[in-house]
Amino acid sequence: MYLHINEPTKRISADSVRVWRISNLLGYGIALVLAGAVLYAAYYYDWKTWITAILTIGSILLFVSAIWAVGIEPYYLQKTWRYEIDEQFAQLKYGRFTVKHIVIPMEKVEYVSTSQGPFLRKYGLFNVEIGTTTSDHTIPAIHQEEAYALRQQIATYAKVKLEEENGVEEA
Amino acid sequence: MNEKKRYHPAIILFNIASFIKETFFLIIILFVINIGSTSKWIVWGRYALIALFFGYILYSILKWYIETYEITREAFIFRDGVIIKNQRNIPFERIQDHHSKTNFLHQLLGITSLKLETGTSDKDANIAFPAISLQEEARILESLLEKERKIEVDAQHEEERVIYFESTNKDTIKAAFTSFSFLALFPLLLTGYFQLDEWLNIEETSKQVLHYFERNMWIWIPLGLVTLAAAFAVGYLQTLFKYGNFVISADKDRIYITRGVFTTNAYSIQKSRVQAIKIQQSLLKRIFGMVEIKLVSAGQEIIGSETEVNSLYPFMDKKRAYQLVNQLLPDYHIVENMHRLPKKILWLKLIRPYYFTLAAIIILSFVKREWLYAAAIVLLAEVIFRLLDYQFTSYLQEEEYIQVREGGLFTRTIHTKWRNLQQIEVSHTWLQRRFGVTTIQFYNRAKPFQLTILMDLSKEEAVAFYERFCRRSAKTRLLRNENEANFIE
Repeated sequence: MYLHINEPTKRISADSVRVWRISNLLGYGIALVLAGAVLYAAYYYDWKTWITAILTIGSILLFVSAIWAVGIEPYYLQKTWRYEIDEQFAQLKYGRFTVKHIVIPMEKVEYVSTSQGPFLRKYGLFNVEIGTTTSDHTIPAIHQEEAYALRQQIATYAKVKLEEENGVEEA
Repeated sequence: MNEKKRYHPAIILFNIASFIKETFFLIIILFVINIGSTSKWIVWGRYALIALFFGYILYSILKWYIETYEITREAFIFRDGVIIKNQRNIPFERIQDHHSKTNFLHQLLGITSLKLETGTSDKDANIAFPAISLQEEARILESLLEKERKIEVDAQHEEERVIYFESTNKDTIKAAFTSFSFLALFPLLLTGYFQLDEWLNIEETSKQVLHYFERNMWIWIPLGLVTLAAAFAVGYLQTLFKYGNFVISADKDRIYITRGVFTTNAYSIQKSRVQAIKIQQSLLKRIFGMVEIKLVSAGQEIIGSETEVNSLYPFMDKKRAYQLVNQLLPDYHIVENMHRLPKKILWLKLIRPYYFTLAAIIILSFVKREWLYAAAIVLLAEVIFRLLDYQFTSYLQEEEYIQVREGGLFTRTIHTKWRNLQQIEVSHTWLQRRFGVTTIQFYNRAKPFQLTILMDLSKEEAVAFYERFCRRSAKTRLLRNENEANFIE
């Protein structure tokens, strides 16, 4: 442990690796196809050298980051993601090379909600979103029962009213 | 007191005036440039514009008639809409600060515009009374104050308002110089010249004048003097209009800032709603030993043109300014001697990748290879910036407050109480771990927020930061339970 402080301990679902891989693959796949098309046009129609050069460099960077986002990042993110909710604070911690540790006092929490996209739905997972007056945070990929319980718990600790399913309610 | 009120009818006039301003070019095209034209388009265009004009007048009158506000004991209620009735209720306790602006026209009519900031980001974020009489303004502010007094535990000790700062002529002159506002003359002259040129085609004449000047070199001396005097006069007047009659006063629980000559601004905030104190210093102000102090509040926009309303005089002597802060907010003591980062951190700062230089090299090698040496200038600038960053970055964490100065050409010091922090973040990169340091970040409420970043703070200090934050934030909670009314966020 690098810093001797109380670190959060709860982990997120192991399925999150697959969810992130699929959604990043889709996003980067579309971007790469577009980049490929533009690059093809650049070579085929013989665009100016510097435009082609910048496009080539951009595409290479995009490809490298795609490999990172699909192949490597999801694994480390899932492995390092920790959260903890108690009466006083919500704590989030994640990252392998750059480690981030965020502490939000419960009394500053303005709203809490759960959300789910198509890939998360496939695995029965939810994102839990916590908002303060200054920023929004997401605890990703939590199983349904756990996510609902978490939402309820945060709402109780933060004294925010929850309205309905998926309800976003202000303090 | 509970009655529906309308805004001052002058708002109809203002609306019409702004309509004319917006369609000014259209008016010029239709009625001035093409005055003799009988072309179908022009004639119909004129009718359409006149119809639109009368339509807009009717709309403005209707709008004025329909929009009402009401002050209850607890809240403001705004109503508008003809078919769909809209109603907004704004409870008094959501209001963070207020700001009234009275321009020349307002003054003639004895009215003002008033804005109450709630500090949320939704559409109800600020409540604007675009035109109300001065008596109405007083009534609105009075009802706000009354509510505050009820919250106050011991309302008996009511103190008079004390004036802590009044700008003098000397201050204005100093401000005019350090703000470079005397440079404002030159764009003014240029616009004047081009405008004249458009109408009278003075290019030939100006060439002749220039020739005359070349033959008679002595004329430059009086001309230079006149320009200098004019530049100073313009700068002085500009500063005077903006910062003249600057008065900072306070009573037991509020701070009041008023300023301006033709357009007067009045700003007021409850002391307990001050989220942080921000001290800004440019390189020039540093040389002259001046600072600008701002009160960070949840309702004040961080970016935007109106940021100045929450500023304590922007050109104040440092000692005087710190003393003033302490007089206005007795809980706040700005400390000048802070901790610097250790020497080895300078190396860390210097070995980080030079992204701008790298980008410059890549771009130049593609676009203009013969200018590649320019990348060296970028590198030099980056190094200087990092040195300045190291030189001025400093911090202080005490039991009650944290104070951080972000370094650079333009330094910014934030002084805030632990309980005002909305959230903190401690992070460390691979490189930082080699040096045993971390980055800490904290957020204060503002619009949207005030973020302070302190990079390369030692591990031990970061742990202390984390622990103190947790302890102090937790404590507030207990306090809050005991005395709910005192802490309304």
